[in-house]
Amino acid sequence: MQTFSTIAIAAAVTVAILASPLRAQQPEPAPRLADGKPDLSGVWWTGGDVGGRGYGGGRGRGGRGAPGGPPPPTFTGLYTPAAAAGAKKLGDNDDPTLKCIPTALGTLNVSMFDVGAVGQIVSTPKFVVMLTETFHGFRLIPTDGRPHRDDVPPSYRGDSVGRWEGDVFVVETKNFNDSTWMWAEGRVSPHSDQLRIVERYRRMDKNTLEIDATVHDPKVLTAPWAVPKQTLVLAPFDQIMPLICLGQ
Amino acid sequence: MTRAGYALLSLVLMLAGAPVVAHHSFAAHYDMQKPVTVQGTIAEVRLSNPHSWFFLDVKEADGTITRWSFEAGTPSGMIRNGYKASEMPKGSMVTISGFHGRDQAKKVGMMRQLTTADGKTYGMFGPQEGTGAR
Repeated sequence: MQTFSTIAIAAAVTVAILASPLRAQQPEPAPRLADGKPDLSGVWWTGGDVGGRGYGGGRGRGGRGAPGGPPPPTFTGLYTPAAAAGAKKLGDNDDPTLKCIPTALGTLNVSMFDVGAVGQIVSTPKFVVMLTETFHGFRLIPTDGRPHRDDVPPSYRGDSVGRWEGDVFVVETKNFNDSTWMWAEGRVSPHSDQLRIVERYRRMDKNTLEIDATVHDPKVLTAPWAVPKQTLVLAPFDQIMPLICLGQ
Repeated sequence: MTRAGYALLSLVLMLAGAPVVAHHSFAAHYDMQKPVTVQGTIAEVRLSNPHSWFFLDVKEADGTITRWSFEAGTPSGMIRNGYKASEMPKGSMVTISGFHGRDQAKKVGMMRQLTTADGKTYGMFGPQEGTGAR
């Protein structure tokens, strides 16, 4: 009888553990490609669409400093005196996005979003493709170890190459022209043609993508700018839509 | 593109929690001090890039019909937030509130809210009730 009781108790404990909320909340692991690397594919957003349920736009825009301390610097807060003086001559009506020119980084500090709030990644064995809904943009990021291209002129969104550091996908983008701003919305934020952005993407689990980025621009910044970490959520659909910038 | 660009960027900022009036560029086209509310029938809903437009036929006191145009959110956002064209057929009586365009001579506005005859409400980016709504 004692043995039966022991078994019954053990069974009850096992059932309780299996049914516990903690177990139920375990996220599914990040999917992986055939080569074992994390598959970053999916449509990513901040948790909802602009104006809809779950939208978290603006999250981490300014970042957080140490408790009780000053907020961390922003891109423009790190301007050299000359760069700051140049920026003072500009106003929000000079925003290049008003001419359908994209940003260098992105309004929500997510390059995949550009001026919008949703983007899609398609991972292939040779490229990671980042698709941007708003302004209909794309980045083809080779992952086969090739160097940056030396046969293309500077461009609005630069030239990207990617590499894996463990499970972290590191993207280095440079060869920008100096026609863009870092952000839109009239936020004056010019940069130079020496702009270089290093992003680190990590798919934490099936539904979560974290992005850290550092912005280098020795012509206009006194120090590299650490972009506030962005945490994106996998959207419940697998195709973005076209959203072209046109005159009306 | 100028108006489209201003509005698109501004909508992202505005819905990210920033005050509507804070954005100079959006204010360049719509006067946030000039709220407007009109009631009329839907002439057309155009889910166009980059922004949607609601065209409304409004009956004036003298019996004439005036066509109003209200700019709303991106078609992609409206669709993902649950907007369905069938919910608002031509001829539907609705009330739209928003802000008047700076050119007061034109019957153009920025849509803040649309209310149907049966009380359903829509924001700039689609239904305010339903699966995609806040």
